[in-house]
Amino acid sequence: MTRLAGTRILGALTQILVVTLLAWLLFYVIARFTGASPAQRIAGKTATPAQIALVAKNLGLNQPYWRQYLIFLGHLVRGNFGFSYVQMRPVSQILWSAMRATASLVLGAAVIWLAIAIPVGAYGGLRPRSFGDVAGRAIAILGMSIPVFWLAPVISYLFGYQPTQGRLLGLPILPSGTRLFPIAGYVDFGQSPVQWAYHLILPWITLAIGFTAVYIRFIRTLTAEQLAEDYTRTARAKGASTKRVLVRHVGRNVAPSVTVLLGADIATALTGVFFVETVFAIPGIGYAGLSAIENLDYPVITAVIIVAAVIAVIANTVVDIAHMWLDPRIRDVPDA
Amino acid sequence: MTIDNRVDLGVSQSVRPAGLRATALRRLRRDPASIFAACLLLLLTFAALIGAPLAAKLTGHSPIQQYPDALYRDGEPIGIMSRLLNAAGTAQDPHGSLFILGADQLGRDQFVRVLYGARISLLVATSATALALVIGVSLGLLAGYLGGWVDAIVSRMTETAMAFPNVLLAVGLAVVIGPGLLNVVIIIALFTWYYPARIVRSTTAATTKMTFVAAARAVGARPRRLLTVHLLPQVWGPLLVYATSIIAANIIFEAGLSYLGVGVPPPTPSWGQMLSDAVTSGMYQTNISLALVPGLALVVTMLAFNLLGDGIRDALDPKGRR
Repeated sequence: MTRLAGTRILGALTQILVVTLLAWLLFYVIARFTGASPAQRIAGKTATPAQIALVAKNLGLNQPYWRQYLIFLGHLVRGNFGFSYVQMRPVSQILWSAMRATASLVLGAAVIWLAIAIPVGAYGGLRPRSFGDVAGRAIAILGMSIPVFWLAPVISYLFGYQPTQGRLLGLPILPSGTRLFPIAGYVDFGQSPVQWAYHLILPWITLAIGFTAVYIRFIRTLTAEQLAEDYTRTARAKGASTKRVLVRHVGRNVAPSVTVLLGADIATALTGVFFVETVFAIPGIGYAGLSAIENLDYPVITAVIIVAAVIAVIANTVVDIAHMWLDPRIRDVPDA
Repeated sequence: MTIDNRVDLGVSQSVRPAGLRATALRRLRRDPASIFAACLLLLLTFAALIGAPLAAKLTGHSPIQQYPDALYRDGEPIGIMSRLLNAAGTAQDPHGSLFILGADQLGRDQFVRVLYGARISLLVATSATALALVIGVSLGLLAGYLGGWVDAIVSRMTETAMAFPNVLLAVGLAVVIGPGLLNVVIIIALFTWYYPARIVRSTTAATTKMTFVAAARAVGARPRRLLTVHLLPQVWGPLLVYATSIIAANIIFEAGLSYLGVGVPPPTPSWGQMLSDAVTSGMYQTNISLALVPGLALVVTMLAFNLLGDGIRDALDPKGRR
């Protein structure tokens, strides 16, 4: 298994190398032909050609491309993501504080979608075609069809803005000026854990709904599959309770697949934060990324993409290794 | 698609049970959810192709025409079922033209725009899916049939592509090459071809080992004939299921790109752009219909594709009942 894990980590490193190369090609090579050069952007619109040439020399832009990539890579390894064209400060400074907010958002949402999807999905698999199963599936297919960039303003409107007008779900039943949930803003966990959670409830729910839908369907299918297997029948025949069969037998077999899906979905969730963070004004990497897109602030966009990709690759790798450890069928087969 | 008789003779029961397609169609026709979804999609196509110009003709509003009289003095657009304002800009003019779903923040007709938006959504999603299928099916067939280093390269490419937050890379690419209809189609195809490629690769790799392929080869079929006549027909079933969900995903993809301002450029109306206009201007808080109209259009379309995708999957499931 150690060797298998080693191969997997090597694969992950290759993937990270590929994404840095792609991002570099895109924003440091192709972008030069479609817009202003990095030197021009940093020196400013009023700079003289001599000043631009000096900046280009300092940035190493007159070196051959392969050396520029190596310099870029060298900087990345040391945590140097370059200099923002717009904010005039190192990109790494912008990113580090943003990462905390984004991690709070994504991890909290993951807890919510698992907490809902596991019981609902397992119930659906246990009692197919029951009322609860049909309702769960109907809600799931609806949840899958709602794009997060629409959900975000609607939830913010319904539970954040409307109560301040004295209305809940359109009905004038609240005293005017009620503040059920904050519309926008973010409080760091270190400052006040209660305020942190209070400010994140709506964003968490917004981000979690689509994933809840996917996970309900996934867990329902897996549970139904496992319950049709001979071993669960044997367990039941031995007198194990439904709860024990679900948790000890089915759960043990479903958990590895769910873990793998979770690893892949961290990447998807990092896309979702772009839309959620901007609507709820959470200063995370999605917020930073979107304002960078509007300002064509390439170093920040590059950094956001690379950081997101690295997080996704790490999540996938950790989950795959956890999968090997959880699932003896993979663990003990050397060429799996 | 015409099926070569020789294929049917050679196929073993496990690959193509007699009349699978007929069974699937019968199951689909009996599934109320699939029928409902198919009707919705038909209606949507109709609305996009004929409804949009018809609405523009009947209301006399083009999708990009801005009406200053559709905005109150404070810049607030007129609401659902309102008429243009009188000269003073204070009240609706009973003789003014009707805005069925109100106006947007620039005084454009939301009803006409949402209908024209359907054109962009469907056009981009279907053509991007078609392009992704062409790339994915070709690479998947080659990888599954040839194996060896071709397979290794294609497999590593799909694995790597699937490990990344693709929408982010797509947005990055769109930022650099700029917005535009064709650019959006190419970008979406570039970031979705590996789903069909993986499915086609695994199906082809399994089918290549079957007796009927060996038989065809023994009779003297060339690789080209093997690929197009014998292997290609086997992948349509699994692909059909995924194509529906890929179109749905691509509709969201296009709307997301437009929402972020890197999709189809304004003033061409697209649902993502309309949503983003309502949200970034902050106007959805006082006039939620600005966000509801394009959003519901998106949700209904997605729901139809997802329901139909589920229906096709169940209908093609060999273990399915009925």
